[in-house]
Amino acid sequence: MVLPVTARDAWSAAPLPAVVVPEAVSAAFAARVRARVEQAGYTRHALVDRGSYERSSSVDEPELLDVLTGVAAEVTGRSLALAEAHALRLQAGDYLLVRHDRVHDDRPVQLVLDLSPAVVPGAEVHYRHRGQVFFAVPSAPGSLAVVERGPTVMCNHTYVSKRHVGASVVRLIVLLRST
Amino acid sequence: MRVWRLGATWEDEERLAGAWRRAAPFPHLVFDDFVPEDALPELVAVVDEEQIERYEADIYAFEATAPEPKTEGFRVLREAFAQALAAPLSRITAKSVRRADMRAYAYRAGHYLLPHTDHQQGVGRALAYAYYFPSPEPPEGGELELFRCTVDEDGEIVTTESACLVEPRSNRLVVFDVSDVSLHQVREVLAGLRPSLSGWFYP
Repeated sequence: MVLPVTARDAWSAAPLPAVVVPEAVSAAFAARVRARVEQAGYTRHALVDRGSYERSSSVDEPELLDVLTGVAAEVTGRSLALAEAHALRLQAGDYLLVRHDRVHDDRPVQLVLDLSPAVVPGAEVHYRHRGQVFFAVPSAPGSLAVVERGPTVMCNHTYVSKRHVGASVVRLIVLLRST
Repeated sequence: MRVWRLGATWEDEERLAGAWRRAAPFPHLVFDDFVPEDALPELVAVVDEEQIERYEADIYAFEATAPEPKTEGFRVLREAFAQALAAPLSRITAKSVRRADMRAYAYRAGHYLLPHTDHQQGVGRALAYAYYFPSPEPPEGGELELFRCTVDEDGEIVTTESACLVEPRSNRLVVFDVSDVSLHQVREVLAGLRPSLSGWFYP
């Protein structure tokens, strides 16, 4: 994975640090990870006042997580270690609301690796500062978003339109903490 | 304003009160042919004068008028609505209401309002309503979906289940209870336009 210099610059320049590294993984690599996560199995969450989605907590991808942690360390200039990792799958009609997110007081770094097989228009991850969107992660298979989760930052995964029949959004969500 | 003339359906309040209490998953009533046909053009003309803008959050995407009316016509429409309905709804629902707010909404393809209860501590919303007025392109989707849910001792919703769908049929009024279990959503509009007037009644 080659990190564009602009990612480091963008991170340093932003008042609320957040960047997207495009084409962080290839489509073929994403497909292999997606297949392994699928095999481990998803569980559907359906408390609809908070979210509708599938989640897999069995992300057994140590090499990938090591690489992603290294990329995040390079982008942020921080020494980081893996705290949590899970995968989300959203299909048409799915979403995660802000009220399903949680506050982080210790400024961890969150990664969103887009493992989706194809672009799904409008399927984004929104990071909000005091309720207002300051960083929108677009649907871009293979891309990696790196976001500092300050105590005022919350996140939601936007509604996936039912007009996109057969849409499948797969995201690897990783939380890294300072060491 | 002659738009909000209640028809014969409203005369038997005892029957309506029984239907309200029995409705599942939580109290609600549906009134078809709510506005007399001859008054619909006047209603549409008043709403057409009110400017709409796009609103978007994690829970919704739609076009709507501002929370407070910008035109005198729409303000009068809102006040007349409250005046016509507050008293009968108070008797039917056993919730004493006096005033109502009102916004016009335009849900187009891709617009939605995800599940929520409307209940907010200290805001005073007692009853919610939606009136669907005629659409030049009747919508596909856009149903009002009511959920059956249970809450734990802290008031957190712990189970949800779809229980009722109300089609956004032209000239239909829906009134429903507001509580910590009045979980509902507007399903995504897949095509066409779903125009409505909507808001809450307050004590």
